[in-house]
Amino acid sequence: MKNNFYQSLRSFLLLAIVMLGSFSSFAQDRKVTGKVTDANSEGIPGVSVAVKGTTTGATTDANGAFSVTVKSGNAVLTISAVGYKTKTVSVGSQSSVSVSLDEDVSQLSEVIVTGYSVTNKKESTAAASIVKAADLQIAPTGNVEQMLQGRVSGVTLITNGQPGTNSIIRVRGFGAFGGNEPLYVVDGVPVGSTDFLSPDDIESTTVLKDAAAASIYGARAANGVIVYTTKQGSRGKKGLNITYNGMYGATDPNVDGAPKMLTPQEQADWTHVAYRNNAAANGTAVSYTHPQYGSSAQAVIPTYLHANGLNGVNNVDLAAITAARASNPENVFLIKANKAGTNWYDEITRVGATQRHSLGISGGTESGRFYLGLSGQQQDGILIQNDFARYSARFNSEFSLGKKVKVGENLQFTYRSVRGQAGGNNGLGVAGDESVILSAYRMPTVIPVYDEFGAFASTKAAGFNNPRNPVRQITLNNSNDNNYNANAVGNIYVDYEPIKDLTLRTSIGGQYNAAAYKDYNYRYLGDSEPEASNSFSEGQSYSFAWVMTNTANYKFNWRKHGFKVLAGLEALNTGYGRSIRGSGINPFSMDLDFVTMNAVQSPVVNSNLFSGVNFYSLFGKLDYNFNEKYYFTGVVRRDGSSRFGSENRYGIFPAFSAAWRVTSEEFMKDLPAITDLKIRGGWGTMGNSNNVDPANQYSLYAANRGNSFYPIDGQSSGANEGYYRSRIGNPAAKWETAVTSNIGVDATLLNGKWEVVFDIWRKDTEDLLFNVPLPAVVGSAASAPSVNVAKMRNQGIDMQIINRGNLTSDIKYELTFNNSFLKNEIVQFAPGITNLVGGSFRGITPIRMEIGRSLSSFYGYQVIGYFNSAAEVASSPEQSGKGVGRFRYADINGDGKITPADRTYLGSPVPTYTGGVNVGLTYKDFDLNMYLYASAGNKIWNQSKWFTDFFGTFEGSGKGVRAKNSWTPALGNAAEAPIWESASNISTSAAENSWYVEDGDYIRLQNISLGYRIPKNIISKIGVKGAKLTLSANNLLTFTKYKGLDPGVGGAADTSFGIDVGNYPVTRSFNASINLNF
Amino acid sequence: MKKYQILKRLSLVSASAFMLTFACKDQFLEVPPTASLAQAQLSSKAGVEGALIGTYAQLAGKGFSRLAAPNNWVWGSIRGGENNKGTDPGDYSNINVMQRYEVPANDGDLNSTWQAKYEGIARANATINLANGSKELSASDKTRVVAEARFLRGHFYFELKRLFNSVPYVDETQDYGKGIEKVVNTPDIWGKIEADFKFAYDNLPETSSSAGRANKWAAGAYLGKVYLYQNKFADAKATFTTVIANGKTTNGKKYGLVSKFAEVFNAENDNNEEAIFAVQSSMNTGNVNNANGFDDLNYPYNTGADGPGNCCGFFQPSFSMANAYRVSADGLPLLGEQADGTPDYNLAENSVKNDYGKTTADAFTEDADPLDPRIDHTIGRRGIQYLDWIEHPGANWIRNQPYAGPYSPKKYVYYKRQENTLTDGSSWTRGYATMNFNIIRFADVLLMAAEAEIEAGSLATALGYINQVRSRAANPAGFVKNAKTGANEANYVISTYSTLGDQANARKIVRMERLLELATEGHRFFDLVRWGTANKTLNAYLKYESKWLVTKFGGASYQDTDAILPIPQSQIDIQGTSVLKQNPGY
Repeated sequence: MKNNFYQSLRSFLLLAIVMLGSFSSFAQDRKVTGKVTDANSEGIPGVSVAVKGTTTGATTDANGAFSVTVKSGNAVLTISAVGYKTKTVSVGSQSSVSVSLDEDVSQLSEVIVTGYSVTNKKESTAAASIVKAADLQIAPTGNVEQMLQGRVSGVTLITNGQPGTNSIIRVRGFGAFGGNEPLYVVDGVPVGSTDFLSPDDIESTTVLKDAAAASIYGARAANGVIVYTTKQGSRGKKGLNITYNGMYGATDPNVDGAPKMLTPQEQADWTHVAYRNNAAANGTAVSYTHPQYGSSAQAVIPTYLHANGLNGVNNVDLAAITAARASNPENVFLIKANKAGTNWYDEITRVGATQRHSLGISGGTESGRFYLGLSGQQQDGILIQNDFARYSARFNSEFSLGKKVKVGENLQFTYRSVRGQAGGNNGLGVAGDESVILSAYRMPTVIPVYDEFGAFASTKAAGFNNPRNPVRQITLNNSNDNNYNANAVGNIYVDYEPIKDLTLRTSIGGQYNAAAYKDYNYRYLGDSEPEASNSFSEGQSYSFAWVMTNTANYKFNWRKHGFKVLAGLEALNTGYGRSIRGSGINPFSMDLDFVTMNAVQSPVVNSNLFSGVNFYSLFGKLDYNFNEKYYFTGVVRRDGSSRFGSENRYGIFPAFSAAWRVTSEEFMKDLPAITDLKIRGGWGTMGNSNNVDPANQYSLYAANRGNSFYPIDGQSSGANEGYYRSRIGNPAAKWETAVTSNIGVDATLLNGKWEVVFDIWRKDTEDLLFNVPLPAVVGSAASAPSVNVAKMRNQGIDMQIINRGNLTSDIKYELTFNNSFLKNEIVQFAPGITNLVGGSFRGITPIRMEIGRSLSSFYGYQVIGYFNSAAEVASSPEQSGKGVGRFRYADINGDGKITPADRTYLGSPVPTYTGGVNVGLTYKDFDLNMYLYASAGNKIWNQSKWFTDFFGTFEGSGKGVRAKNSWTPALGNAAEAPIWESASNISTSAAENSWYVEDGDYIRLQNISLGYRIPKNIISKIGVKGAKLTLSANNLLTFTKYKGLDPGVGGAADTSFGIDVGNYPVTRSFNASINLNF
Repeated sequence: MKKYQILKRLSLVSASAFMLTFACKDQFLEVPPTASLAQAQLSSKAGVEGALIGTYAQLAGKGFSRLAAPNNWVWGSIRGGENNKGTDPGDYSNINVMQRYEVPANDGDLNSTWQAKYEGIARANATINLANGSKELSASDKTRVVAEARFLRGHFYFELKRLFNSVPYVDETQDYGKGIEKVVNTPDIWGKIEADFKFAYDNLPETSSSAGRANKWAAGAYLGKVYLYQNKFADAKATFTTVIANGKTTNGKKYGLVSKFAEVFNAENDNNEEAIFAVQSSMNTGNVNNANGFDDLNYPYNTGADGPGNCCGFFQPSFSMANAYRVSADGLPLLGEQADGTPDYNLAENSVKNDYGKTTADAFTEDADPLDPRIDHTIGRRGIQYLDWIEHPGANWIRNQPYAGPYSPKKYVYYKRQENTLTDGSSWTRGYATMNFNIIRFADVLLMAAEAEIEAGSLATALGYINQVRSRAANPAGFVKNAKTGANEANYVISTYSTLGDQANARKIVRMERLLELATEGHRFFDLVRWGTANKTLNAYLKYESKWLVTKFGGASYQDTDAILPIPQSQIDIQGTSVLKQNPGY
């Protein structure tokens, strides 16, 4: 292999040199020099200057100067550059030509950065989308990827409102049962997350969607690739270009939009309604037994809910309680009923402030360029004690060493801190957790935040079950809990151009990540289920990932044939490192300056080490075009990964695509309305192994304190170490392969007034690696190996339509519609397996994946109404726990009884449509942008209703207003919830059914912003070149039928998706920003 | 020129980078797994012993559902009518249907119970294979390790047999990739369970420095139990006779009864002379799974600092269970029953006075009639000193009294003085205690032996065994005392039997004694099924309890097919209906 590759590389180089030599033999006659400049008369480097009708040409240098040899006196030069409109110039007899290029606003000129090469949209045969840097800067999101929502067709993005949180990003569907994150590449370095990036540092974002675009990344590209390029200085510019961007904003928690809870009196009244309903259902006499509301039919709220051990009293001996409290402050409470009602959501939220400041300094000389970016962002969550901060410094530079060598580097240091974050997976999982937001709905409104002594009040007062005071939880337990992250990411590279248009590049990149966290939890005895101990835990980890890439790019033209060749070799490690974490309880004091692991009781230390996954890859790409009319691209990449055993370690992933620029044909000349039309098609394969454990090939044993330790000596403290089989290996596992096909059209009409990008695509993931459930007889503590058995299909349509023009001579507009249609379907599981069951929430198992349905599909009983009478109960099929006012289920299999076999498909959380409309208007120095996002066709499992909409689910805890429309004979099937009663069985709260399923469709006015560019004549006096003020409002309006707090429900993603237990909502925010250019 | 040199150097660097990535490519793609062990590393003596420890660890169902617990609190006690789920309707609501004998085959905890037992079996099998393959292990160690592993395997299969009846039997010769998933389920595994215990009985040492290990006598006692479950009374009698005469604990104590009943359940007295085989529990291990994690919900509710645990009010003793402790004036239990199957102790005139329907603030007069003293070691009830905490305050410690009744569990609850010294306070509740759970204790053996004697031996010997158990319960020093006055908390009267009467009466007596002595320890449901009395007893229980706990029990009934749980549907889905056949009635 080694020799082969070297030989082919050498022959290729030889060939290239021979061909180059043959070109030079054509050159003769006279020399023409010139300079290409932009509107500001600055030279543009890298402009292609071609002599029309010949294969001769040149490229401008750093100053925009060029020199080209022409044969005759009537030579015509075609001058083209990315980002500018192409111009043709007759040389005539001139020996020097000056050309000024106009900027091209149309998409065709946009750069597609694949990481290994750069091309432009015009030449591309692939499906790729570009997001403008400006679009990334508007909203106060912590993570840059959140701004891709709706702006890129073919991308599903679901996020929550928590600052610094991760998002679910899926490029063209969900290819596997997990690990469907796209590959992120920043300046050529693959990274696991982009949360360190500052939006102001980003030059371009390119989303590579189909195989033709992405399979240059081969084995890791099946989920798409998002390529970020950071800003660079410009060569040859005089002086420094200094920009400052500042943003201030506020996020409103939308208290009025939060689900409504019963008032204290309503809660008491409905408790008594439930007692009456219980008695009726059971045929017993009513007894009013709640410890607070009295024993007569009319519920009465007492003055005090709790007074040192007594519950529901009106008169207290204040002196005695005060004395008792003085001697035992942790245990004695005097809780007065808050008859006006506590709005717990209001109590745990606030208007959160956001600010971001970025300073960019860039410049260059003829032999180099640099960019320095400094950025700081602070963002308060709408939850109290929840905030996010990020400070970053970026240093990008490139220098020429002589004519043929360039060395450069991109380097960023980032410090990140998140305080009080909820939810796993860096906040992404919050929707599916029983978080403090859910606590706000579980806490009865009658309980005040504080008791009469100023301590936190809670369910020490009897009769309210087990919710915890969320203000207490947040204030005590979150306020000093931070996750810190220090990160360095970057690369250094050398470009060597031994001969013209052959670039050899070697790049070494890496990412070092150091993380630390601390977590304090405080003893609190005022809950019915108190936190008995003070506790403290902390941990640290580091990881280092590296990548080494060597590429050779060569382009040449021969007659009307254009060639671009790329060959490359890459080795990388996804990150090795260690982690350590410790925890313990009850230090002498919880003084923050005192507590360390030395101070705690029962300290437990755990640590881990990991080696990451090694990849070794060879790849090549050939771009060919004939006369800028027919294009062909072939890509092949061969990857080896340490995830797989030696027999199936390597995978080869080819892709082919072609395009026909119809407008280059003679017959199109008669149709000037069609400025540009290109038809594209591609087929290819991409690999994936994200969802496979790095140890998948090995059978392993492990020690685990909670699982295999045992105090065999009879000791009452400590345990002996034991081992158990932790993994069953599959050395035969091989790459998952996603086979994609794509047909697309790019059209520009009426000189750029209209642009259309249309793609229809299909992605079949084959040999899908799937953790085939092991039979329990093998031992269930061992992780099942991933085996290549399943198949998944994603297909869809991506469409972008742009219309721009002038309304009047002063008012320009631009409308962009992004539309994505997606269908996701599981095609095959392992033999004999027809479904896979997801996790369960309080005994409810909402998700079952089965063949023919989408990932994460909802599954349960179909509610066909309520049992509206005793006669209906008697005459309907046998159903466990059936009774008047309870759920009546459809007998799907018609066997005359309701059994688990009658559960059915209830919908999918995967939106079938996502899209957006961006409206841009400019009037003189003003610009107005409005951005609407829509998501449709998905369902949400509103699991929070389990807590708020049944009396019997934690009796006494806070309940929602749908209680008032719970079943009565009069409401019948119009009731919003079953009869208000204690019973909990599969006919009430204890089964997954369609009642939890709600439409997730929504339209959101995600952004509206007004910008004003301060005229130069005003600002130039104070030494400012440009200044712009922008006011924007985000998430101003949301139209949805969803009853929960926010329809944008993500969750832990992939196989646990769309379940809302208590999501962190995306709410409206207002920002003012200023951009200055010095 | 200098520039040229830099250039040269850079070219060299990039060229060598090229070379490097080629040269070590094959090793480069071999990344050994981290933080784990390969099987070969466990073939040392320490490795084999560690695998055995891991098998013991699975006694507590660690990593699986709380329902996979060794104390069978749901499958044995709740379904045996000793306790109900307790708590409120919504919490752990799938237990609602279990206590109503309406277990759906797709229940997750049911599956997890099955998985936990097979995980134990997988670990036992792996240990046997490691021991057999180890060159470092001495022959005697090898025999002992295999015998301990087979003891544990016998235990897990015994549990599966009782719960599911027809189960696939896999031993150390089967594994993943060797057709293990094709082994069909069959009821015919008693012989294999016997063989494991027999092997353990024949090969285990009598004592060990590790008190938690199974020894010869534990194997003997378990073997006797296995005989009893098959109604092999003669074999059972012979085995129990030897065990009672010669048995000693692993730490060398001759089998006997501790002097005070409550000391059986006290962490300070772990591995006593009565502990034949116990799940060891300890604190400070870095994980509360080692501190009876399966029992963490089974404490009184909202006790604050006055009581233990605080969470979550599960496992509340039933009305019937309390009433069973009613004794006649001469200190003997009420054995009679009415024509409709109602036991006499549940008649209104005999039932134990309780505070159902009363708040803590309401006045309550405690029951003054004669009671077996074990009631107040077993059941937490209003007005009675609760260990060394306070007098049980009634409703304030009950999560939802209208739903689940007036009582709290008490046996496996820690003392106030033990908080954070014999409990593990490192998790979300305080309810992680370090008293061992006895899978078999000597009183249980005596009563099993009495049964065997009644069926196949001498009533007189049986009488002796039963009275031995009752005499210990009758030790007045062990009665629950009022913390202030030192007087007995209730009217405790207990005496020994002078005769068992005829065989039929003897059966009634020994069965009643098992209920009173072993209540809430997870035996009851299996005993009822074994005796063939489950249908009558449990339907009478449901009828009685549902007079109060209507929401919980209204309309529930027990069918004979409920004696055996359904085979978990997800296992049938994985292995196919041709391998796993569902039990009748599901």
